[in-house]
This record gives sequence, structure tokens and C-alpha cells, in this order.
Amino acid sequence: MHVNSESILTVKNLTKLVQVEDKSLTILQPLDLNVVEGETLAIVGSSGSGKTTLLSILAGLDLPSSGQVYLKNQPLHQFNEELRSQVRAQHVGFIFQQFLLINSLTALENVMLPAELANLPDAQARGEALLSQVGLADRLDHFPSQLSGGEQQRVAIARAFIAKPDILFADEPTGNLDSKTGQHITDLIFDLNAREGTTLVLVTHDSKLAARCQRQVEMDSGVLTETTKVDDNTPLNQEEFTSNQATDKKNKLDANHKVTQAG
Amino acid sequence: MNNGKITASSMWFRQSMRLLHHELRRGELTIIFFAIVLAVATVFSLTGFSGQIKHAIVANSTNTIGADRVLRMSAEVEPSYLVKSQALNLVTARKIETESMVFAGENMLLTELDAVSDNYPLRGELRVKTSLAQAESVIANAPAPGSVWVEPSLLSRLAVNIGDVIEVGVAPLTIAGVVTDIPDRSYRAFIAGPTIILNIADMATTELIQPGSRLTYKYLFAGESEAIATFEDWLKPKLNDAQRWYDAKAAQNRLSRVLDTSEKFLSLASMLGIVLAAVAVAVASRRYGQRHQATVAIFKALGASIRHVKKLYCLHWALLSCLSIATGLVLGYGLMLLGANAIASYLSLAEAPLTMKPFLTAIITGLLCAIAFAIHPIMSLVQSSPLKVIRGFSQEKTARFGWHQLPPLLALFLLLFMFSQDLVMSMALLLGGILVSFLLLLFGRGLMSAGRGVGTKAGKSWHLALANLKRRASENSVQLVSFTIAIKLLLLITVMKSSILAEWQQQFPDDTPNHYLINISQAQIPELQQFTEENQIANQGFYYIYRARLSAINGEKTISAEDVASQANSSEQGSEQSNEQSQGRRGVGRELGLTWRNELPIENKIIAGQWWQEGDQQGQVSIEQNMAERLDIKLGDELTFRLGSDEFTVPVTSIRQVNWQSRQLNFIMIFNQSVLEKFPTTAISAWSVSTQDRDKVYRFMANFPTITLMDFAAIMAQLNQIIGQVSVAISLILILVVVAGSLVLIAQVQASMEERERELAILRTLGARGKLLRNSVLFEFVALGAIAGLMASMGMEIGVYILQSQVFNMTGSFHFQYWFVGIGAGAAFVGFIGMLSCWRLLNLSSVTLIRRTM
Repeated sequence: MHVNSESILTVKNLTKLVQVEDKSLTILQPLDLNVVEGETLAIVGSSGSGKTTLLSILAGLDLPSSGQVYLKNQPLHQFNEELRSQVRAQHVGFIFQQFLLINSLTALENVMLPAELANLPDAQARGEALLSQVGLADRLDHFPSQLSGGEQQRVAIARAFIAKPDILFADEPTGNLDSKTGQHITDLIFDLNAREGTTLVLVTHDSKLAARCQRQVEMDSGVLTETTKVDDNTPLNQEEFTSNQATDKKNKLDANHKVTQAG
Repeated sequence: MNNGKITASSMWFRQSMRLLHHELRRGELTIIFFAIVLAVATVFSLTGFSGQIKHAIVANSTNTIGADRVLRMSAEVEPSYLVKSQALNLVTARKIETESMVFAGENMLLTELDAVSDNYPLRGELRVKTSLAQAESVIANAPAPGSVWVEPSLLSRLAVNIGDVIEVGVAPLTIAGVVTDIPDRSYRAFIAGPTIILNIADMATTELIQPGSRLTYKYLFAGESEAIATFEDWLKPKLNDAQRWYDAKAAQNRLSRVLDTSEKFLSLASMLGIVLAAVAVAVASRRYGQRHQATVAIFKALGASIRHVKKLYCLHWALLSCLSIATGLVLGYGLMLLGANAIASYLSLAEAPLTMKPFLTAIITGLLCAIAFAIHPIMSLVQSSPLKVIRGFSQEKTARFGWHQLPPLLALFLLLFMFSQDLVMSMALLLGGILVSFLLLLFGRGLMSAGRGVGTKAGKSWHLALANLKRRASENSVQLVSFTIAIKLLLLITVMKSSILAEWQQQFPDDTPNHYLINISQAQIPELQQFTEENQIANQGFYYIYRARLSAINGEKTISAEDVASQANSSEQGSEQSNEQSQGRRGVGRELGLTWRNELPIENKIIAGQWWQEGDQQGQVSIEQNMAERLDIKLGDELTFRLGSDEFTVPVTSIRQVNWQSRQLNFIMIFNQSVLEKFPTTAISAWSVSTQDRDKVYRFMANFPTITLMDFAAIMAQLNQIIGQVSVAISLILILVVVAGSLVLIAQVQASMEERERELAILRTLGARGKLLRNSVLFEFVALGAIAGLMASMGMEIGVYILQSQVFNMTGSFHFQYWFVGIGAGAAFVGFIGMLSCWRLLNLSSVTLIRRTM
């Protein structure tokens, strides 16, 4: 795993306005943000605070009304849809609250998709390996409708990591899951993230989940405030994390099976 | 991270195939597939089949006129014409065509008589079998004098065999064989009966040729093409408008035009089904587009470019189109073979080759259905924003009217134009179709709303069903229109077959004529008159009949609509000789049957001018009202008629209203005695023969074999047969509409499936029982079908009323018993198809239902 303090995501003076009927509504007040490689950042805030809008702009899904967004030094705010999709294919991974798997593709095919879009070799082998890492080695050919919510999110996590993204955006990844499954999914995300050294930007209103990130910012009515000042940019100690994971691993898999059966 | 790239081209292909593979197991593509298959198969079989028939009849036969040129006229030719043709070394054959009764013992039959000279035919082959056991027919010329060739059906209808004697007119002639191929066979809709070919030398002994007999004389010419051309140049200026000079190509063109017209009619009628198939494509692809929004948004969020997404879906659509068009062609070919098999006894299509036309027409139809009706949903699918992964997927409502409706409308217009080849007609059909659909929609929506009100008072299931029906009213409109049309066709066929003709026959008084006598010589009249008086057979007397053409009105030469058409097509008409004049006043275009009368016939009323005095020496004519209006003829106008080689001009002194429905002998032109009595002719009469007098009349008439006795029942039987054939054609369209309408219904149900699932889940959660849910779904479709049946019944009554008042001149009547048929059939069929398409949904357990949707 590599650690350095280079910026991966830089936001300057970003605003977002939307037209509602005749009035223009400010969703995001002018804000700056800097995320360095390997960092884990939580954007917290209540519903309607603008955190999801910020996430979609940071990930290049949407454009700001003004200001600049640089992802891997690429000016997303100047890019059209096509160029932004190239950036996403090369650098970005996603985990959504609604899982958003393609229903007509199997678990494995869903996982392979980003690797194929980024033209990476051996997408299938990687997909199989990742699915087995998230405990779904025996569900490769199952369709999303045949999987429980927790299992679907695990497929989505495997999909998020397959193209070895530089930055991973997670939008309320446990929002649709019960607390036990949600806990397990959180563990999986942080586990894989630590292993792959991916930068993580996580949007949540769950303070426990946010607390697992090195740094937290809070959105309130479109205003962004830094809530945790982290001096040391180093993520969680690798050894410590690995041991945590090792002790938990058996329990997690059992829990997963229960979820599956319950579902 | 981009080390060891795999080729991007194979990747998108694999992804697309993967999506398609899984997609095929879901519904929409199947609907689209079947809809395109249906459209392609219909168009291919129809166009291919009629093309083959045309080829078998027209192009494949070496000669359709039995000569190089034919001169056709209603009298014998000027001898000088034949002298000239001999001088040019042309070979000549003669043929006289007429209709007559033939007798064999107790049996008699109306037949087509072809009297031919020994060397007939000059071109093409006449093939006969001299024994029924003979496998192959042999080439023949005219039968020897005293014998005839007959068409096979005559043997069974007269219960005779080869070698037996039949009476043609007064001549006993021996059947020497059956004819299998006639080179200049006529393909008319009304053919009196089977053809008999006899030697022209026997014609005199039959005594069928009398002054005024309705005969067609044909002179066949063959020879060196230069000699033919010289003769043609010499002859053409001498011909009048009652004489037709034509070659094989002109005859073929005439026949082709008839076949083209019926093909056009059938294609346009089948447009109804094709439009519905296209609507099914549109509905299914809209849902396909909506359901794939998530896939596209995820693909894009994960970094797929628009180009990439476009390629994925274009490949899907291309494969789907190709597959369904290919299947449609195969199925259409199968249908064509079925059709060829069905008519094999009349016409062999085995050697008729398939041209490119049906392939092209069918493929264009398939492509238009696949592209024009799906392009909007597919294009907006490809444009789906990746932001939707965050914002969620809404069911986007497309504006009801907008640019996206242009491609389907354009496609409809193109299809109409392709089938009709007529810009104005295509436009009119398109606008008319839109108008009719709009009216039906409006009316149907009204009924659905009314049903909602009724539903609140009915049981719970009905309440839910009718509420749902109203809520989905706009989605249901298309099915409503299609089933309305289908049921209306069904009802029209049924009513036409079983009621209208019967009702029409019932309305005549008992003494209405039911037998018609034709070809009565002047000498026979007193004997017949005596017979009717002695036996008290009701009749309106004897009418002398003269065949003549209206050649000029107020000195201005007439031209018929047919002449105008043939002149427009003269480039492809070969050397057909029609009217030399390109300009002229509108005429009748055929020979008219004229008569003279001293008293105004019954069922006739003078509406302008005055009837003449008996013995008036100045020539006068009375014209029927409708004809006078059509040709814009007024009192005092001078009409010129050509009767054989004579021409005479008389003023119009009265205009008559005629009751055409009376089944009396009616005439368009009636003259006073002095105009016509100098021309030799035969007479006709109409008798009312009671059942008990029937045998007596037939025995008496056997003494007059040259008189043709036609039984009205036989004419009715022929009419019934034609209605039967028309019904078959309508039934084919009906089946097409029903299948296409069902596809639309299934597509629509699939489109509402998620919504239905959600509703059922909510109702389940609230404690609704399975029976209530099942009934609410069933009743929704039953109500839809019943409304369609109700609208169809009303439509049927309007259609029948128009038929009754315009075609049969009857007073309109209601047919309420068929309303039950219409409503019942609609409710049962739509209920069945609806339940079938919701079967899976209704059989889901409550737990699954709730889990899937909550």
C-alpha cells in the first residue's frame, strides 16, 4: 500500500444552483475541498443538506454552476459528458445506497463491467477473485433478483474495486440495510479499501459509519464545514486493521449466510 | 493501470450479446419480435402470392389471346378487312362468344359458349383430354363439327360423361373431351358457368344466333410482324369505339390492372393489422427503454461513453430486426405455399418464380416497424443521464404530441404509399385513419369514465376493475380501438352472411319476378304469351332489347372513364385501340340495353318532361334520373346512339325515377316505338313462377332450347358465393387484426406490470383475498372487451345501415341479437388474453409479491 500526500481531488469555489420554477435555489454555497491520495473522507449531513449533490459533482456525474473540480488533475468542470465518463472509467469507483446492479446481468458479469469498460485484461479472473473475497464465490451466476440486499451490496463492492480505482465514492452504502448487515458491509468496504489503498469519499448521515473515516466534513444547508481536523494523513494502521478483520472474518461470513437465508 | 488492454471492439460486442442473451428471456423483445414477424409475414405472403398469381396467369402463359392481334366487336366484320389481311398473308381464325343454356336429359345449365374456327388457336396451346383416364392432355384445335370440348366441371354439373350428347340451342352435340388449357381464357368475376368449345360450323344449327342476340365476335390474326404492323396501320383509322383491337400485352395489362387493384385493396386492408403490429412495437420498445434506463445510467456512471452505449443498443436492435424479418420471411413463405396449395385446383403456381418485389416490400415494412416506431424510446434511452444513479429513475412521461411522433407518422405514410402508389389516397387514408381513431378514442374514453361511475355501485371487484380501467384509459385506448375494429369486422361478416341477403329477399311481394327469359325471338313471343295467360303467370310482358352505345351528347363525342385511364397508361398498353379521341364528354363506357315502350312501365315515375303518345312518329328517349345526373343530361338534349353500323339521334323528352330494387326489368334508356322497331332483335321477359308451376314451366321451356331461362335463386346463389369469397378475405384481415391487437394488449399489460404488482401487493397487505384480486384483474379486461364490443356493435349497425340503404335500398333495421355476440365475444376474448398475460402475476404468492415490490 502506498501513502503520499498528493491531492487526488481538489475543489475550488464550487457552487450549485438549480432552477425551481422561476426561482433559483442554492444547493451548494461556495466551498473548497482537498482530498489527498489514500485518505478516507466522510461527508455527513442531514437529508436535503446537499451532500449527495456534492458527491455527484465530485464524481463527475454532474457539473457545478461555478467553481473548479480537479480529479487526478483533470478539470472535470470543463469536461463534457463524454470526457467525464472517460475519467470515471479510469479513476473512479462507486457504491450506491440502492446497490444499482444491472438486473439482467449475473453477479460476476456485473462485477466485470468496470474492468471491461476500462479495457483491463482478465476481467473474469479478477471478478471471481473479488467475489470470493466478499464471500460470494458460490453465487457467481446468480442474478441480482436472486440475492438478498446485503449480498447485492457485496456484489456492488466487488464491482467498485475491480478496476482498481484511484478514488471510491460511496453514497449511503448501508442506507438500505439492517444494522447488522450494514456493519458487515462497512467492514468489507474499509477492509478492501485499506488493502487496495484507495481514496474513499463516503456520504452518510450515519455518525458511526462516518467515525470510521480519517476525516469528516459536514454539510448543512449547502455549507461545508470541516468537523475533524486530522493531523496525520496516514490511514488506519495496516496491521491493526488486518488483525481486526482476521478475528471478525468468520463471524461476518456466518452473518452473511444468515442474511442470505433470511432474504 | 491500463496495462495489457483487451480489444475494445470485442468487448462492447460481448457486453451487448450478454445483455441480449439475458434480455431474450424477458417479455418486451418477444413482443417486438412477434409484431415485426407478423407485419413482415403478412406483407410478404400477400405480395408474393398475388405476384405469383399474376405471373401464372399473365406472364407465364405464352399467349393470352390465342393470336398476335385480336379484333373484338359485337357484330360481324366488314369482309374487306379479311380480304386485306389475306392480301398481307395473315392467318385468320374466328371465334364467337355467348352465354346459353345447354340441356342433358332433365338437367340444364347456363354455360359460356366459345364457337371457334378449325384453325383456332393461332398462338398458344389449347389442351384437351379425350378420356378422363388419360394422364397428359394433348394439344388440340377446334373440335370436329358435331362435337364439343367442355370444361371438367360441366360433366358433374350436368351428370354426363365424355361421349354423351348435350343439346346446345337446338343442336345435339357429342362431348369429345375435356379441355384443360384455354389460351385466351377470360378471368371475369361473373362467369355464367363452365365453358363449352364448339366448332363455329355448328353455330348455325344451334339457332342461337338471332337478330339482337348478345354475341361477341372475335377475329384472330397472326403472321409476320411487319405484315401485322402494315395491317394495323391500315385498320386502326377504320375502327369505331365499339370495336377493340388489341395484342397480348394489352390484354395482359388489362388483367394485371385488375389483379393489381385487388392486391392494392388487400394490402391496404392489411395495413390495419400492420399499424397495430407497429403500435405493439412502439409500446414494447417504450417499456424496454424505460426498463433499461438504469442499465444505461449505471454503464455511464461506471465510465461507458455514449458511443459505447449506442453501439450496445444498436447491435440489439439490428440483431432483433434481422432475426424477426428473416423469421417473418420464412413464415410468409409458408403462408404463401398454403395459399398456393389452396388454389392448386384452379391454378398451378408451382412454376411461378418469386420476384424481388415481395422481399423488398416485406423487408422495408419490417425495417419501418423496427426503426420508426422504436427510435424515440431507444434514442432517449441512450441519452439517459448517469446522474440518475443518484437522483433515481422516474417513469418519464413523454409529451403526447411532439416531434417524436413524426417518424411513426412518416413511416405510416410511406407504408400506405408503398401499397397504394397513390399520394392523395395515402394522405386521405392516413388522415382518415387518425380521425376515426380519434373519434373511437374519445367515445371509448367516455364509456370508460361512465363505467367508473357504475363501478362504484357494483361489487368490490368491479369497483377496483373499473377504477383501474379508467386510470389506464389512455394506455387502454389503443387496444380498445383495435378490438373494436376486429369485432366490427366479425359482426359485419356474420350479419352480411346470415341476415342482409335474407332480409332483402323477404321484402319483395309474392308476385315479384323470379325467372328471367333471354334471347326470345319475335316468332316465339305469341306462344309464350299464350302460355303465361293460360297458366296465370304474373309478368310485365315482353321487352324488345337492343344493344347500342351512347356515342354523342349534343353532338359532342363521349369518352368513358375507362378510356381516360387506358390513355393515361397507353405507354404500357401495347397497341390497344381504344378511342381515337383524347378529349370528349363523359359517356357510359359500355353497351346499353335499350328498349321501346308505349306505356310507362310500372315502378317508373316521370319526374321531368312528359311521356309520349302512342304512335308518335318523332323519335324520343326517356332517360333514368341517376344516369341523367351522372352524365349531366337535361331535357331537350340530343343523344346519339350507335347500334351496329347505324347511328341515330333523338331528343330527351322525359326523365324517369326507377325503382331498381323491384327486380322488374328496368331500363336506363326507353325510346318510343318509331325509333327502334325497324331494327331486328330478340326480347326478354321476367316471370313470377310459383313453386307448383315450376315443373310445368321448365317442361314447357324445354321446347325452346334457344331461350335462356335464368332462375333468380341461381343468381342469388352466385351472389352468396361472392359474398363468401369476400368474407374469406375479410376473415384473413380479421385474424391479422386480432393477432396484432392481442400483441398490443400483451405489450400494454407488460408495460403496466410493475404498477400492477405494486397495487396487488398493497391490496394483499391490506388483507384483500386472492379471489378479489383475480376478479378485479379479470373484470378490468372483461369490461375493456365489452366496451370494444359495444362500440363495434354500434359501428356494425352504422355499416349495415349504409349497406341496406345505399346498396340494397332497404329500410334500415336493428340487429340487436348481434350486439350480444359482439359484447360477449369482446369480453370473453379480451378477458382471456388479459388473464393469460397476467397469469404469472396472479399466481405469485403474497410473500413474493410483497417482497418484490416493497
